[in-house]
Amino acid sequence: MLQFILNGLPIGAIYALVALSYSFIYAASSVLNWAQGDMVMFGAYVGFTLYQVFNLGFTPALFISMAVVALVGVLIQYSILRPLRQRKAPPINVIIATLGVSIIIRNVALMIWGPDAQLLPSPVSTKPVATGILNITPQNILIVVVGLLLMIIFQYLLKQTKEGKALRAVAQDRYAAMIMGIDTERADRVAFAISAALGAAAGILIAPIFFITFNMGAGIGLKGFVAAVVGGLGSVPGSIAGGFFIGIIEAVVGGQISSGYRDAITFVLLILVLWLRPSGLFLKKKGQKV
Amino acid sequence: MKKNKKIFLMIAVCVLILTLPLYINNLYYLHIINLAGIYTLVTIGLNLLSGYTGQTSMGQAGFFAVGTYVSALMMMNFNFPFLVAIIIGTVATAACGLIISIPAMKLSGPYLVLATVGFGEITRLVLLNWTPVTKGAAGLTGIPYPEIFGLKITSEGQFFYLILIFVILGTYIAVRLAKSKIGRTFSAIREDDLAAEAMGVPVNYYKIAAFVISAMFAGLAGGLFGAFSGVASPDNFTFDDSVAFLCMSVIGGNRTILGGIVGAFVLTIISELLRVFQGTRLIIYGFILIFTVIYMPNGLVGIMDNIKKNYRKNNKINE
Amino acid sequence: MYVKKRGKIFLLILLIVVVNTLTACSSSQESLEKILRIGVVGPESGGSAQLGQGQRKAVELAVNEINKNKLAGEWKLEAVFQDDEGNPTKSSSATNKLIQESKVNVIIASINSSSTLADMVVTERAGIPQITPGSTGASITEQGNKWIFRTAANDGFQADALVKYAKEDLGITKVATFTASDDYGQSGAKLLKNAIEKYGLELVANPTYNNGDKDFKPQLITIRDNGAQAIFMWGLYTEAALISNQSQQLGLDVQLFGASGMAAQKLIELGGDAAQGLILTQTFLPDADIPTVKEFVQKYKEKYNEDPIPHGAQAYDTVYIIANAVLKADSSEPEALRDAIRNTQGLELVTENPTFNEQGDDIGKRLLITKIDGNKFTLVKAVETK
Repeated sequence: MLQFILNGLPIGAIYALVALSYSFIYAASSVLNWAQGDMVMFGAYVGFTLYQVFNLGFTPALFISMAVVALVGVLIQYSILRPLRQRKAPPINVIIATLGVSIIIRNVALMIWGPDAQLLPSPVSTKPVATGILNITPQNILIVVVGLLLMIIFQYLLKQTKEGKALRAVAQDRYAAMIMGIDTERADRVAFAISAALGAAAGILIAPIFFITFNMGAGIGLKGFVAAVVGGLGSVPGSIAGGFFIGIIEAVVGGQISSGYRDAITFVLLILVLWLRPSGLFLKKKGQKV
Repeated sequence: MKKNKKIFLMIAVCVLILTLPLYINNLYYLHIINLAGIYTLVTIGLNLLSGYTGQTSMGQAGFFAVGTYVSALMMMNFNFPFLVAIIIGTVATAACGLIISIPAMKLSGPYLVLATVGFGEITRLVLLNWTPVTKGAAGLTGIPYPEIFGLKITSEGQFFYLILIFVILGTYIAVRLAKSKIGRTFSAIREDDLAAEAMGVPVNYYKIAAFVISAMFAGLAGGLFGAFSGVASPDNFTFDDSVAFLCMSVIGGNRTILGGIVGAFVLTIISELLRVFQGTRLIIYGFILIFTVIYMPNGLVGIMDNIKKNYRKNNKINE
Repeated sequence: MYVKKRGKIFLLILLIVVVNTLTACSSSQESLEKILRIGVVGPESGGSAQLGQGQRKAVELAVNEINKNKLAGEWKLEAVFQDDEGNPTKSSSATNKLIQESKVNVIIASINSSSTLADMVVTERAGIPQITPGSTGASITEQGNKWIFRTAANDGFQADALVKYAKEDLGITKVATFTASDDYGQSGAKLLKNAIEKYGLELVANPTYNNGDKDFKPQLITIRDNGAQAIFMWGLYTEAALISNQSQQLGLDVQLFGASGMAAQKLIELGGDAAQGLILTQTFLPDADIPTVKEFVQKYKEKYNEDPIPHGAQAYDTVYIIANAVLKADSSEPEALRDAIRNTQGLELVTENPTFNEQGDDIGKRLLITKIDGNKFTLVKAVETK
């Protein structure tokens, strides 16, 4: 049982990063970014290209990829989401738009990198280190450590920097923030950029153990979304907790109960949670309307 | 003079539609039209749920699947005739709609969306893993052709008429519903469900009704689909298919029934037309979605209304 | 009310006009030339894109070769491709389009069994022969359908050969299966179970996974805790590589087995040293010392700069079977073609001598038991299937 939980941690960290991205964008601009999972994929591929073509090491590849994908995120926000907001588009239209973005990114990746899976080697070993009856690999430790580090940096930026405070103001009450002179449009862009960068980081962290395929974003995006909602969409601690929660649940259910129905059981749990706490586990106010 | 012209036009259109299989010889076109017709039933139901009542659902493929599998299994395992089988299928789907509506009615926004996605996925996974009944990944094969009062429906042309009858029936029911008090209540719930509740409207019952009704439409379509394609497997009812239904609903215009019809046809046909682009097909499709949603926020039907408004403005004398 | 009705009519008229124009534009060309049109449907996007694109490349290679060297006599081959995204409904629409619009004489479709089954409804109704180089689902040849042929390797033989080898050559007694939840995997699971029972081995665990899953540790832990000595995998290479890696990470000391679905150079690349010693059955070994294989691999590498996948080899052979059929029948009439395909014999192709039985299965396939050793697959044993 403990082994299952241990295994759920690295996946949980990845889901947590993705959940954070969803929450962040949703809190700042009420947008559900269905393309978030594909940012993870794109970041992984960019990292792969940096490694393969330019022979960069893990750390530089990580940072450059985050920067590149952040730019892509800003591009998407500026060219697609901003016009939608300006035209006061109903939320369902925004969903369709981000779905369109997801389809485009996925198929562009297919065109550029082809349908075969790619390997990004890890900077640390993937061989297990046995500690008694449990097995951990350094790669998994790396994911959890770097993941947590990113989350901590994220929290710090949010709480302590001026930009971060502005973002939190926009998330809390957009109109009030506007009245106070905060540039809400810029806040949107920054939120998107950061979310995209987090996604790219998740992609590069996970690439060595999961390989990179052009449709890896679908599953990770959906699970990350589930994690964000379970924890409470828009809440930072909620998203992190939700991510680890889903990761561990998956590992335990998949191992102990049934591997075929694993995802079905996760969704049933999700619906139960939503039924009992319609705003997620960590949010107190009523869920927002569409 | 004008009124006669209108009546003449309507009769001409009806004749054109009724005789369609006679002048469209290309079986491929007919096949696509038939498919679009089946999807129309789904989008009409989805429009009632998402457009009218404001409950965004990304799990219609789940209802569609239940309709297909239940009616197909009724026909194959128990030899029920087609009409009985699809009624049973529709009832089964209605039950699913009821089940999902109970947690769903408390939810809104992304939470609701996720619950419907969850439902769609649970359905698909059950179909995939419950091998003794659903034959798992291989799915059902050899779903029999519909036989109605002794007449066996086998060709694309015959299916056209069968589907047409159901589409007309479905549209009629949906339009009557939309114009009735129920329809207006749906819209009220979409606009402000708290206010509606305050006015004494039992919002929860109406939400349940909306889910059940949209499920029934999808279930009916599913039953038709099973007999039409002859095979059914979980690969037909994925999250991507739910997404496609939602796109049809929004692109056509989700506030009207006509929007559902238009959306289903336009998107199905465009999907096929884009085949000429081979590799970049899906990329173009994505751009079309984005473009439509930004510049035509009320869907294609919305654009039609805008054009008409401008036409009337410019031709005040004639009107 | 008034306004809505006008709009409705406008839209419907628009629709009808568009459809009519399209109808008018498509004219049927009756050509007296000896052209054989081959329609190819496969998942060129979506989850099985690597297989669909591999199929396409192999078919193009074969068609070009046959035309260049006039291997079909006076007949010229023309291939038309459609993507089915791995979706059965789209697959049947694509097949419909190929038959009605591109007027193909024979169909190669598809890779996913669910798509192939959907296409079979269309080809049977239209009376056009269909060959699937990639679908292994048992139900495909159990429909009583006279128009379907299959050049994909017979999974039943593969499962049997693997289990037999495990018992007789390696002395293994406790095994687990770990199979994909798609049609290929489910069919494999069933066949493996039959073989395991037949040879008297003990099945201690049989979990499944979904394609696209990335974490297999929960199931592997269960397998480990149940004391399995070997794991029989049945799926595609990405998941197989991940399973190999993760079972090594968990410290599992088991013999890994697989089948032709995962046989690709990528398996070795992604599996790294976790995949060393993995045993799998193939009908096609890129390094085999067989002239037809060597030639094919070399030509494919020259043109595409990568190794061909087994589905590619099967697709390549399928085109040659078609070419041979049209040559023998000297007609592109569907019935003649179908009968000629069924009577195929004496061909030496990349994956052996194709011979079709009553149901359309190819029982002439060569079956190789191979092992991953270093950077390539090496031959362990060749098995007779006839």
